[in-house]
Amino acid sequence: MAISWRTRLHIWFRLLLLQASWNFETLQGIGFFYALFPGLRKLYGKEKLPEVSLKYIGYFNTHVYFAPLVAGAVLRLEEDRASGTVVPEVEIDDFKEMVAAPYAAIGDAFFWGGLRPLVAGVALFFAVKGILWAPLIFVLLYNIVPIWIRTVFFSHGYRHGLKSVEFIQRHKLPDLAIHTKEAAVVILGGLSAFMVFSQLTQHQLPSWLGMLTLIPMVMLGLVARKGISTLLLVIITVSAIFLIGLFWADVVQLMVF
Amino acid sequence: MTLSLTLGALVSLICGLDRVAILQMMVSRPIVAAPLTALLLGEPLVGLQIGVMVELLWLARLPVGAAVPPDDTQVAIASSVLVIALGQSLDASGTELLLLCLFVAIPLGKVGQYFDRYAREYNVRLVKQVSSALSRGSFLAAEGQHLRGLISFSLSSLGTYAVIILGGWSIIPLLWPYVQQPLSYSSSWMQLAFPLVGITVILGTINVSRAITLFCAAFCMSFLLMWLV
Repeated sequence: MAISWRTRLHIWFRLLLLQASWNFETLQGIGFFYALFPGLRKLYGKEKLPEVSLKYIGYFNTHVYFAPLVAGAVLRLEEDRASGTVVPEVEIDDFKEMVAAPYAAIGDAFFWGGLRPLVAGVALFFAVKGILWAPLIFVLLYNIVPIWIRTVFFSHGYRHGLKSVEFIQRHKLPDLAIHTKEAAVVILGGLSAFMVFSQLTQHQLPSWLGMLTLIPMVMLGLVARKGISTLLLVIITVSAIFLIGLFWADVVQLMVF
Repeated sequence: MTLSLTLGALVSLICGLDRVAILQMMVSRPIVAAPLTALLLGEPLVGLQIGVMVELLWLARLPVGAAVPPDDTQVAIASSVLVIALGQSLDASGTELLLLCLFVAIPLGKVGQYFDRYAREYNVRLVKQVSSALSRGSFLAAEGQHLRGLISFSLSSLGTYAVIILGGWSIIPLLWPYVQQPLSYSSSWMQLAFPLVGITVILGTINVSRAITLFCAAFCMSFLLMWLV
């Protein structure tokens, strides 16, 4: 029995609530069961449904935007198993376990490590200029890719089942993640230069001074690489600027009087 | 005053849920959450300034696996509320007040990590409850247990928001008369320092070979272009 498009749409919407019960024991486990339940209910009778459902509430963790791909493929495998016409090549639990961690790693690198800083950098250009549309630009630009991935990958997962893994391989997402991160670094370099240049212009200071900003920035970057917390770096930097400001104000006052 | 705090709490709740529990459309990012709060309170530019300062600070702390990053969402929202509400009651405004609110809100925001952790630990109980509901064949109850997790995350967000607001409300009026003048000497440079520190942390932690070289090249090229043009 094939799962209707209405049920699949219902599952897709439920996947938006995947992490509602996120916990340290099963992570997204309950959420994955919650999302797939409308499909499972169509496939299994009342006798078998509790047994099948219990299998889904165990440990499950993948990237939240790739969960629809796994859900789509699992739905297809469940459909095959329930109909009994096709014997799945691997157990559904094994498939989930096999793909969840690699998808999580790819998603974390691409979305959290690459796309988010990249889009934040672009939106901050507008925000620094005082353009009030900056938040909207961020939300719109960022969500294009996740919405596309959540929708297209879910339908691909359902259509191709086990072979959906090849879909990820074909899109070379790990390579794309690296390129996105590189683009983010370039954008953040441009953003830093823009902010420093604007500040110097505002204070009518010579522009070449801005190049000196690179020295503390690179130093702080190297310190951050050692694992020093952001909070500590903020405290050190801000305290240094505060003390320099006080010292400068005193020097100026002495020179005036 | 009450209206400002209530509106802030409402944004805190919605954005707090977007952060982990539902959607993940990134309306919880400081660059969105702070201007949204400030817009509702009638001063969107204040929120935009806070968004710029907080957005990049913890962007490098990825929510990978069981890791819980600091709650920059509540820091941004509560700071916006504090700046606007305290600005009216203290008859103060400007970058100095904004900086003081952030200096108080950022350390208090660390509390959010504990609340977030507690919410996730509390949700472990749901696993047993879902399991027993399924064993009984009560599917509706099992689905309901999943949605109960939203309550934990809502309370965690509101808890962090309340701690920052209460802490800020009691500390900032006491500090303000003493720090207003000293802060004014360097406020614009401090304002610049926040996003730059965030960028350096991203540079230090981003997994890209030659990230610093690439960053310096982009910085110099952009700077020279702006200089020449």
